[in-house]
Amino acid sequence: MIDREAFRGLVEQHSRAVFRLAYRMTSSHPDAEDIVQETFLRAWKQLKTYDGRAAFGTWLYRICANCSLDHLRSRKRAEMDDSEDPFRDIAHESPSPERLAMSVEINAVLMPALNGLTAMERTAFVLRHYQGLPIADISRALGVENNAAKHSIFRAVQKLRKALEPVRTGQ
Amino acid sequence: MMKQPKHLDEEDLVLIYYREPGVAAEAVSHLSECARCKADFDALAETLNACLDWTPPEPELDFERSVWAQLAPQIVERPKARRWWILAPVLTAAVVLLVTGAFVAGRRSRSTNTPTEPVVLTAGLSAAARERILAISMADHLDRAEVLLTGLANADETDSAEFEADRLRARDLVSEGRLLREVAAGQHKATVPVLDEIERLVLEVANAPDHAGPAEIREVKQWIGADSLLFKVRIIETNLRSGRGQKL
Repeated sequence: MIDREAFRGLVEQHSRAVFRLAYRMTSSHPDAEDIVQETFLRAWKQLKTYDGRAAFGTWLYRICANCSLDHLRSRKRAEMDDSEDPFRDIAHESPSPERLAMSVEINAVLMPALNGLTAMERTAFVLRHYQGLPIADISRALGVENNAAKHSIFRAVQKLRKALEPVRTGQ
Repeated sequence: MMKQPKHLDEEDLVLIYYREPGVAAEAVSHLSECARCKADFDALAETLNACLDWTPPEPELDFERSVWAQLAPQIVERPKARRWWILAPVLTAAVVLLVTGAFVAGRRSRSTNTPTEPVVLTAGLSAAARERILAISMADHLDRAEVLLTGLANADETDSAEFEADRLRARDLVSEGRLLREVAAGQHKATVPVLDEIERLVLEVANAPDHAGPAEIREVKQWIGADSLLFKVRIIETNLRSGRGQKL
């Protein structure tokens, strides 16, 4: 049985990995920290549903992905209400040739490109690309059809390629 | 006229890049033979590989502690069946003995018309009531098995002290499980394979060396994961509690 002390151990063991996933979902340090809290709180409340088939970390990542998805959706809604979107400016900014020189530039372009994805596209892409979850697992984790998860990833890849193409070709 | 080869589209290439199952073997072999598709794939891979360079910032040094400090006030221990651990197996065993005794005595009394002691103990209980008590006793046993399995599935492989506690719980479950298995063989046949599986696992845990190491603990965790045992236990337990267990 996972009691409070055992759960504390799990929090300490997994909190950094959950933070990294949440950060990849949100590109925001404070948002990622909030999601870490929310993830562990949900995990504690849902412990009874953990069936032990997946590793505990994988189970946590699924919860974190859903927390992030909720967070991204509410952020999108807030952005629609708020014309002052700090990411929008960055996303439309054309990087100068000096800045286009490998990974630093990739990062500079990637973050706004990720912010340009829909919540579902971003979540599915991050789970596939950074967490290495197969599409079937992603669809189960997010409660969507396999094809929906697959097409979210396809669209995400398409958009990211479009955004990153100038960096890749050095244009 | 020569048939034009069908080139791979971006979706095919994405699935191949991620090594997703279900990609047609012809698609993979086409990729190795077609220069155009190979060039498309390399361009895709270059972009996606570059995305891997993006690393999130590391949180502060005492991040883990600060996460717990904020979380702790909201983590309230549930008064689950934990305190039952000591008494529950004894109670279950008593109930099972009572119920099986009543069945045996019931059969005997029908043939000889001589009342026996167990009949007095269960006087007033209908067959349906006895069946219900048995179902609840089995569900309680499975609940305790589930708690043990969940703990083991999440066990820290380096924490031999926690494993020792699980070992003691496993010992309690062995005798209780055998008793229930005897009864289940007559009335809940569908639960027998799962009870057998639990028994094999708890025996393994109960007989583990005094200071089990990471290898032994890992082996138990793999066993639990490989057989989906927790899932089966939950299904049967739910059925028993909801009354569907009688139809098993």
